[in-house]
Amino acid sequence: MNALLSTHGLKAGYGDMRALHGIEISIEAGETVALIGANGAGKSTLLKAIMGVLPVAPEMIMLDGKAVGGKSPHLMVKAGVAIVPEGRRLFLGMSVEENLQIAIEHAAEPIGEPWTLERVFALFPILREKARTLVENLSGGQQQMVSIGRSLLVQPRVLLCDEISLGLAPKVVREIYAALPAITAGGVALVLVEQDVSLAQRASQRLYCMLEGRVTLQGASSDITREQISAAYFGANHVLD
Amino acid sequence: MSKYQVIRMTLSGRIAWFIFAVALIGIVSMPWWASQGLIRDVVTLACYIAVAQMWNMLAGYGGLVSVGQQAFVGVAAYAMFVLAQTYGVNPYSAVFISLLAPAALAVPIYYLLHRLEGPYFAIGTWVVAEALRLLATNMPMLNGGAGMSLRVMTQFSVHERAIASSLLAALLLLVTLGGSYLVLRSRYGIAMTAMRDNPAAAASQGVNVHRLRFYLFVAAAVGSGFAGAVYFMAQLRITPPSAFGMNWANLAIFIVMVGGIGSLEGVLIGAVIFFFAERWFGEYGASYLIVLGLMTLACALYFRGGLWGFYSRHFNAPWFPTRRHLVRNKGVVK
Amino acid sequence: MYWIDGIVQGILLGGLYAQYALGMALMFGVMKIVNVTHGDLVILLALIGISLADLTGLGPWSILATLVPIGAAIGWILQRALLNRVVGDDPLPSLIATFGLSIALQNAMLQIWSADTRSLSGGAIQQASIPVGSLYIGVLPLIVLICATVLTAGMAFLMHYTRFGRALRAASADVEAAAMMGVNPRRVYALATAIAVGILGFAAAFQAMRSTVAPSDGPFQLIYAFEAVIIGGLGSIWGAFTGAMILGISQSIGFRINPGFGILAGHLVFLAVLAVRPQGIFKRKS
Repeated sequence: MNALLSTHGLKAGYGDMRALHGIEISIEAGETVALIGANGAGKSTLLKAIMGVLPVAPEMIMLDGKAVGGKSPHLMVKAGVAIVPEGRRLFLGMSVEENLQIAIEHAAEPIGEPWTLERVFALFPILREKARTLVENLSGGQQQMVSIGRSLLVQPRVLLCDEISLGLAPKVVREIYAALPAITAGGVALVLVEQDVSLAQRASQRLYCMLEGRVTLQGASSDITREQISAAYFGANHVLD
Repeated sequence: MSKYQVIRMTLSGRIAWFIFAVALIGIVSMPWWASQGLIRDVVTLACYIAVAQMWNMLAGYGGLVSVGQQAFVGVAAYAMFVLAQTYGVNPYSAVFISLLAPAALAVPIYYLLHRLEGPYFAIGTWVVAEALRLLATNMPMLNGGAGMSLRVMTQFSVHERAIASSLLAALLLLVTLGGSYLVLRSRYGIAMTAMRDNPAAAASQGVNVHRLRFYLFVAAAVGSGFAGAVYFMAQLRITPPSAFGMNWANLAIFIVMVGGIGSLEGVLIGAVIFFFAERWFGEYGASYLIVLGLMTLACALYFRGGLWGFYSRHFNAPWFPTRRHLVRNKGVVK
Repeated sequence: MYWIDGIVQGILLGGLYAQYALGMALMFGVMKIVNVTHGDLVILLALIGISLADLTGLGPWSILATLVPIGAAIGWILQRALLNRVVGDDPLPSLIATFGLSIALQNAMLQIWSADTRSLSGGAIQQASIPVGSLYIGVLPLIVLICATVLTAGMAFLMHYTRFGRALRAASADVEAAAMMGVNPRRVYALATAIAVGILGFAAAFQAMRSTVAPSDGPFQLIYAFEAVIIGGLGSIWGAFTGAMILGISQSIGFRINPGFGILAGHLVFLAVLAVRPQGIFKRKS
């Protein structure tokens, strides 16, 4: 099987501190893969390394058979990788429409049906009403919708979602997760970093569990048991009662 | 006795202190062995070191980058001239009384400018210095743009003046360098180092960043003013462009950036380089300033630690150790 | 009438300051980059223009048309070679780096052009004026003011309604997030600095035509630009324009009170604004 995106012995860190010790993951087109693990396990760091924010060697990240590791973030976007960053990171002082417009104006060449403003508004209807509102005046859930919409509009083939449920009400989380199948249906590969393990398990086909910068468990989401997850999550010596 | 102890003094530090003490004694005794020219040079160098060290404390520890320290240099110097020349106060008493002027000026300036962040603060201080220069140029009391002469000094003999200049230079170094060193080694020093590394984190650890910066700003104003009073007393003449000129900011920034920001040693190295560059190349016009400017640029871009940073990466032998080392006691002796 | 004339002349003077301030509003206000050489670049461009006029016999308008692309090229190189290295949260490196460059630049200009004051001959237009009631309005200062207004309007349009303007605002808001949305911040910044210094080409030509330039004048232009930007409120393009007008009027009125008081009056108004409304006139408290 041909992976769309894969990492090979990926090592990365901040300055002298190494946070990732040889990560191997892969994802196919249209697939949803969840990445779980405790705080500090290295999930966000992995996404940043893939996105080109942290320096890595070229052959550590393969996209469609090409070595793309270490490219600048804006070139990763052009190559077809996008991220919904942790904490949303919207452009403050600008309206919803302007935030989306920036993505449209710097998008990659779309493969398949392109994402348009209309499709994003269809996915999150509230954004159409709020188009002219400054993003700082939106609720947390609405901001997350803008952030997802913005990242879709750069026409990614792989979308990395970093904790998109964090700090949101359960109802809003359900609303956002309900939109995800519509995204992957067009062939987009989705990587979900998620704190809520059971939510991650339900929303994904496969999952990876990380601990201290290493992958400690991987497999089909429906096959993995709670015991396996807790062993991988906390290390071999801990078992959840 | 505990198992560990905190060590702050090093061998190199002891040697440096010995040299510093010898240098101060040498400076004080200059009138009996040095030429007029040498005394004048040493006074000038001491003033450069003092102004640069004050800037170093502001920028290197306080995170307050000022390009307007000449405001305090000029205000203190002018205050001294007015007290001594216009009101007939003893010139040497006037040097110390004049330090009230920069202190008093620093308070409103700080409250006006502290709301401006980093670079805005810097240029704000520049505007203040410019405003003071223009004010001095327009004040009949200060003889306007023509400046003032310190004619009252003729009441003292050349030898008496040499003794006073040497004492003042030594005192200036003792106060600015020695004072900074003591402050940095005190508990305020730890707070200031924390503030330099991360103001927000320091604040969360109970450091009153705002108040510490305020004290630092006022202290640096007084230190710079002291240098100004001593410098212009030796010059016997003052004009608004010399007192409030950008040259003071230029030399402070060059000395600290090239020498090494956040260290006393760097200031000494930078001051010596600046002094000799000015001495040797100044007579061939201003082209040496092109080189000094580009050196400042290069240090900001590539060698943030300056020359001292380069030295301390290779040798662990600080001259003025302010760091604390935790060492395990060998064989705890009762 | 004396005072009305003061205000009118102040507004005209403000037109020149607005051209200094516009580039700084872009770099300082929007990109949060400190460029201490801002004023020195005005002088450098003006001196280049004057030498070019001497050398080629080109008229002032052709010189202006040459200085704008030269300025843009200098801005592009400055950002690419230097300022992109010091962009970041810590403003100290960019301040110190350009401060050093400013000293070097001033003294290099002093070596090349000597300390003499020079000016650019603007031909007949330099002396022409239009009578309005009992006032006389200089044609050249009026052109400067109109030019400043058009440039400000153009800049405001660029910032709000173009791909470049949006990308620049996004990069200023969150440079890493902008890069993750496909914006190449280095390129956008280089373009913005090219525009900022390109505008200084206008300022340089007009400054050299309206009055004189000397190698050590740069810091004054820098301070005026800075004051205009802060008075108007950081990040606001029209705020910088208005700030320049307020500065021009303050200096002009001050000059009429006492010739030695003109520039000082500008500084005092700036400090007063800082004391009363530190966020600037056009900005609401955030």
